[in-house]
Amino acid sequence: MRRWSIPLLWLLAALGCGWIVLTTPVAADLTLFASRADPVAELLLEQLRSGPTTRLILLGLAGGAETERAAVSQRLTERLKVHDEFVRVANGADTLPEAELQALFAHRYRLSPTVTPERFTVDSLRAGLRQRLAELQSPLAVFQKRWLAGDPTGELLNLLKRWQGGLREPAKRLGLWFSPDGERALLLVETRASGYDLAAQRKAVTAIRAAFAAARVETGVQLEMSGPGVLATLAADTIHAQAEFLSTLALAAVVLILLLVYRSARTVWLGALPMLAALLAGAAAVDLIFGKMYLITLAFSMTLLGETLDYPTYLFSHRRATETVVDTLRQLWPTLRLCVATTLLGCLAMLDADFPGLSQLGVFTVAGIAAAVATTRWLLPALLPPRWTPPQPVAIGAWADRALQPRPRLALALGGCGALVLLALMVKAPPLWENDLAALSPVPRELMRLDQELRTALGAPEVGHLIAIVAPDAETALRHGETIAVYLDDRQREGLLTGYDGPMRSLPSARTQQQRQASLPDAATLTANLNAALQGLPFKPGSFAPFLDAVDAARAASPLRPEDLRGTLLGTRVNAMLFPGGRGWTALLPLSGVRDAGALAADLPQAESSQAYYLDLRAETNRLVAGFRAATLVRIGWGAALIVAVVWLGLRSWRRVVAALLPVALALVFTVAALLALGERLSLFHLVSLLLVLGVGVDYGLFFSRPGADPDSRRRTLHALLVCCGSALTVFGMLSLSALPALRAIGLTVSLGVAASFIAALVAARPLLTKMS
Amino acid sequence: MADDDALSQVMRALAAAPTVEATFREEKTLAVLDAPLVATGVLYYRAPDLLRKRTLHPQPEDYEADGHWLTVETPEAGRRQFDLNGYPQLRPFVEAIRAAQAGDRAALERYYRLEFQGTPADWSLRLTPRDADAQRYVVAIVLRGRNGRIDSMETLEPDGDRSLMTITWR
Repeated sequence: MRRWSIPLLWLLAALGCGWIVLTTPVAADLTLFASRADPVAELLLEQLRSGPTTRLILLGLAGGAETERAAVSQRLTERLKVHDEFVRVANGADTLPEAELQALFAHRYRLSPTVTPERFTVDSLRAGLRQRLAELQSPLAVFQKRWLAGDPTGELLNLLKRWQGGLREPAKRLGLWFSPDGERALLLVETRASGYDLAAQRKAVTAIRAAFAAARVETGVQLEMSGPGVLATLAADTIHAQAEFLSTLALAAVVLILLLVYRSARTVWLGALPMLAALLAGAAAVDLIFGKMYLITLAFSMTLLGETLDYPTYLFSHRRATETVVDTLRQLWPTLRLCVATTLLGCLAMLDADFPGLSQLGVFTVAGIAAAVATTRWLLPALLPPRWTPPQPVAIGAWADRALQPRPRLALALGGCGALVLLALMVKAPPLWENDLAALSPVPRELMRLDQELRTALGAPEVGHLIAIVAPDAETALRHGETIAVYLDDRQREGLLTGYDGPMRSLPSARTQQQRQASLPDAATLTANLNAALQGLPFKPGSFAPFLDAVDAARAASPLRPEDLRGTLLGTRVNAMLFPGGRGWTALLPLSGVRDAGALAADLPQAESSQAYYLDLRAETNRLVAGFRAATLVRIGWGAALIVAVVWLGLRSWRRVVAALLPVALALVFTVAALLALGERLSLFHLVSLLLVLGVGVDYGLFFSRPGADPDSRRRTLHALLVCCGSALTVFGMLSLSALPALRAIGLTVSLGVAASFIAALVAARPLLTKMS
Repeated sequence: MADDDALSQVMRALAAAPTVEATFREEKTLAVLDAPLVATGVLYYRAPDLLRKRTLHPQPEDYEADGHWLTVETPEAGRRQFDLNGYPQLRPFVEAIRAAQAGDRAALERYYRLEFQGTPADWSLRLTPRDADAQRYVVAIVLRGRNGRIDSMETLEPDGDRSLMTITWR
């Protein structure tokens, strides 16, 4: 019974962790970079997560004849319009639908910016009537005259002009949007869900594909699709497929290595247990503490496999028939314990309340490594027969002794080399960091180009510059928006920008609406003014009764609020730019053609109870990433100091500390230099991989400088480390062949780092120990 | 069948004219006005698809349909250009007279059902819009003419408003 209590407990824990992991979402968002104490960052991330521009899907229909493209465009639009997940489906065919026209018409006196007291004097009314008369003359009058009786001042026309403004309309053919060369019919789809809600985006993409398959009929028209959500799902799919393929391949390779080295199937599944424990425990701990797991944590978990696979290898290689499994573990334990303690304490430094992304890496490693080592220390002996040794005895010939021969000169040369490389790096200071997030994108370049082409052709707003207003309520946000609109109008005249949009353009604040209502004359005055204005004009008496009634009704109406517009296009447009959030209400004013962001931001009008922020999304994102990196580096520094302290506590000898740690320091220098020489720039993925190299390298150094080991024991250590290094090289070497920048970064860094750590530890650890003794 | 032959004959006669210059007088009868609106000006056509209508009185206005481009010039709004492809609702109105003058029966049939009456020497052609959207704005357009000349165009709207343009050849 006692023999099975540990495996049983382990199994229960694994099942529990597995359940937690399966029920928690993976987040591909950028919140991990953000410091919680940064309001601009928070706005920016909200914007990147769910801003209106992230919800756009751009469609292009290419191939076939022009008329076929147009027909498919129409059929596709009709099919997509019935879907509930799209709030907008536009292909250029629709001028405003009748219901929306009627809504704008009904609210014209509150919404139109031209409503002023002067608008309703005799002179102004007469000017308006004359203009309407001239319009009746025109051949286009058939379309406009139905509004005449209710709107002689022409407010609806003003509103329509405003409605169409803001966005540049794409070129048209056959009544539909087309690219300027006519090769593509264009459609714009807006999803209800955010562009980073991958599940919803995937559903939307599937719906579009299905609708296209049906709309295409028998034409040769092809569908092209782009937009933040499409690219994000594509990126996730690519990562998923590649990671799956490569990890299957890597797993097969590791199994093969273990089988070849130990000739025992048992080593394969026993070797997998610590790894599995690390993954489950790490992921479960992160999920329990954070409620979600970032993609970068998941990427890091792959690198962690490299270290957890080493623990059972140490055991297998050090097994001798003359002692029990437990005895072997007992002998290894002081060194193994130290290896684990250094990794754990090094990661404690990553726990930072302000950076959730950084903390996740720390939590994952701490929980994962602890679980892996506990599995190795207590579960494996419970599962192995007490005297089990791998069937293939550890065969190490004379070459091992030669390899282990201390070579002080080689060590010195290596050290000198390392110092020179470090010096060269510091003096030459090559560009070290990858600052462009786009360079890390797994999206193929031709798709990025397609996105740019569709975006340009459609005149869709780019994720670029915007002003965000944070206010306690919608009304305050709108009022502040109106103040800023005046400011922006002036700057636009000065040429600092070419245009802007904002919720207040579609829905004025209640205060502004009330001012407009107050400028409407009472019924008697208006009737008198109108009658005077009609003198000498050919309009029939009584024709404008609807106008008199509408003005009278508008005087008494209550101001329109955002919630009154629900379900209308006007409402959709307002909601995209004015929404409640964690800090009250946020209003967004997208800017286009910004020439001087600094000047615009410098004099941005502020209000008493609301705050306006100027966001340059690209610059801000890069700033966030740089900030995250700086924080990571500081933490790594603290982690390194902790590691030194722990190793000293464990070994109680500075000489031995140097022997264990100097090799990994050398290895890190060589790895960074090699990466730079290969033309890489260091991204966050390189950085977390270097963290793993640090952990593995410390282990190698500790094992090679293990005190009191007899020659046989040392040979076995060499064997163990060769297997560890060999399997890590195989796995991460495969990753480095990936076309995905993130996987390539991880693979390249870890395989270079592991190889460098092994060589440095082999060459330098022993001589450092003996030379100095 | 006889009507169809006569229509074909009229179309051929219309198509034979490479250019047309004429003056017009347009009288619009609208429910909101006590008296009809009267405008006069000149028409110019050049085969196959340029049509220009210049109103001179009571205020100058210039409309030119050239291929799929429509250029509008008015004193208040200045010169504006529209792509007719982008405003499909305008197309039937342009084609009613331009395609008719071009003798392009296929183009007319695309937008209208055609009813021909009379003889080539004295005919009338009633155009009824096919498109439901166009029907909201116009019941029918009636062209009258003699052989290859269009003498008048009458537009009938659903609310009873109508306009009659009489054309005098130069």
